[in-house]
Amino acid sequence: MADIDVRMDQVSKQFAEVTAVDELTLEIDRGEFFSLLGPSGCGKTTTLRMIGGFEEPSRGRIYLGGKDVTTMAPYRRNVNTVFQSYALFPHLTVFDNVAFGLRRKKVQKTEVGRRVGDALRLVDLPGFERRKPSQLSGGQQQRVALARALVNEPQVLLLDEPLGALDLKLRKQMQLELKRIQNEVGITFLYVTHDQDEAMTMSNRIAVMRHGRIEQIGAPEDVYEAPATEFVAGFLGASNLLDGEVKDSDGSRATIRLRTGDAITVPAERLDGPERKVKVGVRPEKIKLEQDSEPLAGGWNAIEGTLRMATYVGVSHQFTIDGPGDRPLTVYAQNLGAETIPAPGQRVRLVWRPEHTFVVRPSEPLADWEEET
Amino acid sequence: MSNDQRPDFIDPALLRGLTQRRVSRRDVLKGMGAGAGAMGLTAFLAACGVSGTSKSSPPPSGSPSPDVLKKIYGNGTPAGQLNFANWEAYIDVNSKGKSPTLLQFTKETGIKVSYKTVINDNDPFLAKIIPVLQSGGDTGYDLMVITNGGPVERMIKLGFLTPLDHQYLPNFEANASDAVKNPSYDPGNKYSVAWQSGFTIIGYNSKAVKDKPTSFADLLNPKYKGKVGMFGNNQDLPCAALVYLGKDIQTSTPDDWKKAADVLMKQRNDGIPRSYYDQSYLQALENGDTIISQAWSGDLFIAAAPKSYGGDGFPEIKAAIPGEGGILWTDNQCIPLNAKHPVDAIKFMDFVYQPKIAAQLADFIWYVSPVPAAKDIVLNDIDDPLVAKSPLVFPSADDLAKSHKYKVFKDQAEEDEWNSIFQPIYTS
Amino acid sequence: MVLPGGAWLFVFFLVPILFLASVSLQTGNIFDGFRLTWHFRNYVDAVQLYHVQFLRSLRYASIATAVTIVVSYPLAYWIAFRGGRHKTTFLFLLLLPFFVSFVIRTLAWQFILADDGIVLGPLKRWHLLPQSFHVLATSTAVIAGIAYNFLPFMALPLYVSLERIDRSVVEAAQDLYANKLEVFRRVIFPLSIPGVFAGVLLTFVPAMGDYVNASILGGTKTTMIGNIIQLEYLTNFHYPIAAALSFILMAVLLLGIFVYARVLGTRSIEEYV
Repeated sequence: MADIDVRMDQVSKQFAEVTAVDELTLEIDRGEFFSLLGPSGCGKTTTLRMIGGFEEPSRGRIYLGGKDVTTMAPYRRNVNTVFQSYALFPHLTVFDNVAFGLRRKKVQKTEVGRRVGDALRLVDLPGFERRKPSQLSGGQQQRVALARALVNEPQVLLLDEPLGALDLKLRKQMQLELKRIQNEVGITFLYVTHDQDEAMTMSNRIAVMRHGRIEQIGAPEDVYEAPATEFVAGFLGASNLLDGEVKDSDGSRATIRLRTGDAITVPAERLDGPERKVKVGVRPEKIKLEQDSEPLAGGWNAIEGTLRMATYVGVSHQFTIDGPGDRPLTVYAQNLGAETIPAPGQRVRLVWRPEHTFVVRPSEPLADWEEET
Repeated sequence: MSNDQRPDFIDPALLRGLTQRRVSRRDVLKGMGAGAGAMGLTAFLAACGVSGTSKSSPPPSGSPSPDVLKKIYGNGTPAGQLNFANWEAYIDVNSKGKSPTLLQFTKETGIKVSYKTVINDNDPFLAKIIPVLQSGGDTGYDLMVITNGGPVERMIKLGFLTPLDHQYLPNFEANASDAVKNPSYDPGNKYSVAWQSGFTIIGYNSKAVKDKPTSFADLLNPKYKGKVGMFGNNQDLPCAALVYLGKDIQTSTPDDWKKAADVLMKQRNDGIPRSYYDQSYLQALENGDTIISQAWSGDLFIAAAPKSYGGDGFPEIKAAIPGEGGILWTDNQCIPLNAKHPVDAIKFMDFVYQPKIAAQLADFIWYVSPVPAAKDIVLNDIDDPLVAKSPLVFPSADDLAKSHKYKVFKDQAEEDEWNSIFQPIYTS
Repeated sequence: MVLPGGAWLFVFFLVPILFLASVSLQTGNIFDGFRLTWHFRNYVDAVQLYHVQFLRSLRYASIATAVTIVVSYPLAYWIAFRGGRHKTTFLFLLLLPFFVSFVIRTLAWQFILADDGIVLGPLKRWHLLPQSFHVLATSTAVIAGIAYNFLPFMALPLYVSLERIDRSVVEAAQDLYANKLEVFRRVIFPLSIPGVFAGVLLTFVPAMGDYVNASILGGTKTTMIGNIIQLEYLTNFHYPIAAALSFILMAVLLLGIFVYARVLGTRSIEEYV
């Protein structure tokens, strides 16, 4: 078991009437790349700011490396932050920006020079020492912000949507860079984002937050393949959800009956608690679309529907199907080039493996203000 | 380089456009073209000269000819309008805020009066109208009140006042006091007649100054160090010092001036004056910032009079006429050059010389009335003995005889020399 | 775009300046008119006669500007960083007295600070101050009056420069181990320098030419160059000397601004404005 770097113990934060963070408990391991993922207003940034020391919790304790830092001033904490807006000092050169923290810590001059040089090399910006932030591109500023934080070798690096202002291509590139750098320095990264791709690409573990609470914590593939709540299922990738009722469970397999009468088989361990009314879900890419009623492969789940629309997206085809649920179902099929594409209006069968089925508790739908930051 | 030597390529219209106030659109457009192209810096600078007046209108000398006066006043028929520029609180006011004198004037003559209190100080007012007159324009005023001791003389010399036709001034001839008739600054009252006069004397706070001041010497007394108010202008301050030294202001020499300046400079270096004041001296005296000060007579009357009577309510402030005599100055009614309604103006000038009207004004303004006959009317008809018996409104013949007048300068050079001697006292 | 801008500059700047330059080199008097005689002696005379008032104005304006910085910096800082929802209200309160005319405001001080007035009177009666103590008619009063009257010209640009500092930059400094003092010294103050720069210009330039405070609050040795220019122009009608003085004043100010901008470095200012 790895050491625990950050521990939050039943931490709440209240702003006037609003509870931004609600009884949050969280442990982050040393060296981990941990992401807080959620829509705007879910409390992820407030959580980060409490760890950074910019907000004081209303209740609960925060520990860094086992030390209680709940009320400690930011400049006394051994954490550093990469801000969403980079927050570079506009009046200082790149060198002075990166050296800022070291100088405050009264690091020796030659040592400062060496470490700043190393940090700039790490973020691939050697030779930029004399520039001012205004003379740098957005991506370069981002790297300076990263170097400025990393050069202090903090216990934990906090990153608040650091790639939010970059364009898609640069963002993808920086995601890989960040992961590389984290591997190199081995520092714990706590990463806040509303972008699920970003979180999945880089993280060891993800905590999906909503309304100040954690909905689910886990490795990206666990959270994706087996979302615990309807919210997680919807927020993290696309999913098809159907209302159903748990019929029986024989230990390894359970059967869920849909309103149409179709029976869906799921691994029994996916059932969470004693609820009878649940939603069953399957990711669009896990579904195989069959046009002719060839015999069903053994043990696969199957439902019928009518194709409403087929969309060509290059790498795949995307099908929209009116099925047994209230909402249409989505299916992605890889563009292998050999399939015959069904026509709209055609009856089709959707089949998938039982182990690709997940069961979630119903939760209230996403409000408008939660959509994007 | 003078205007006469200006290069030929400059359009005379451009020069007019740049030096005169009235600029036509055509001139401006031409000017911009020329400025951008042909015109050199030197030529431009030369074109910026400030034109004098001696070339265009000869300096006035002798009496204006009857023809000139006839041209100005015609057959004496008023136009029915009078635009009057005066100082604040310098006319009578009834309970409705109207001036009885102006109302009566309109009633008797049918001339409507537009009365504006636009003059706060001579210099800024003249600075505003002189450029207008220089460019041959009309100031918009038919009558204005300005002080002797510089302003009136300057306007006369510049030829910017309309000569007066004394056939329209019978009341002035009959009733004006000798003190304002034929003054040295305007012999024969060719361009001006007095509105009101005043004395530059000494004001003091009788609570703080126990011995009544008797002379300018009291202003030099070290026991009032730091509490003495002096005037910061080139007449009240130097003239008082010259009088103190027993010099005649008008015939004094630069040597006398230097001696007077020495007295004033010593007073200054000893830290006796608190400051050199303009009209604000009165507030300093009322506030107690000064306890003895050079002062203008009417102000002291206003300061001391009870509030119920219209004064400021400082009974401890008292006036003292120095034994060597006060300095009498006069605010004068003048008609600016190019005035549109000179007949209306001269009719009003004469109107206020009726003793009844003069009494009405004197009873309100509290400065020295130019009409001695008004005294009885104030005393008996208006029944205001306080004003009638005040030597500050109706001075005794003795006070008048002893009084001195502001320096009248022979020429600009004399004035410059005078200023160079006295100005450092109150401006450094 | 060059043409209207150029025409504007020509009409409203170049023409008056050249006119002034021309007048400053003329001789004559108001009666005979003034002629351009390239009389550079006017400048020598102006300096010889009035260098005392000139240096005094320089001293008063410098001290007054320093005073406005000291007074308005904490004020602007407090409003910008601690004003919260009421920033606008505080700014309004700060500006409220300045809706009253300049002269009236100064006269009010004359009343308030009178030797036996509402402030000094009681203090003297209780023997907390000697009877001879006075504030008015001193250079202190003139400097204080200038500082007071030009306070908003310093406070507003300071406020704007402090207000526009990105709060995350302040947090970044805290995050990088800077304590409160260091945050101010290393980040907030350097970032407010454009405001200080603008404030100094907006305060110092008019303070240097001011004549109202000296004439209302001053005493016997507090005459400033503005009073002299006014006197020479309005009373003595020495247009050339008045113009020469104005030109010298302008030249000194321009030179000062140039040196000042050099020292502070306008380039770096532009960069983060």
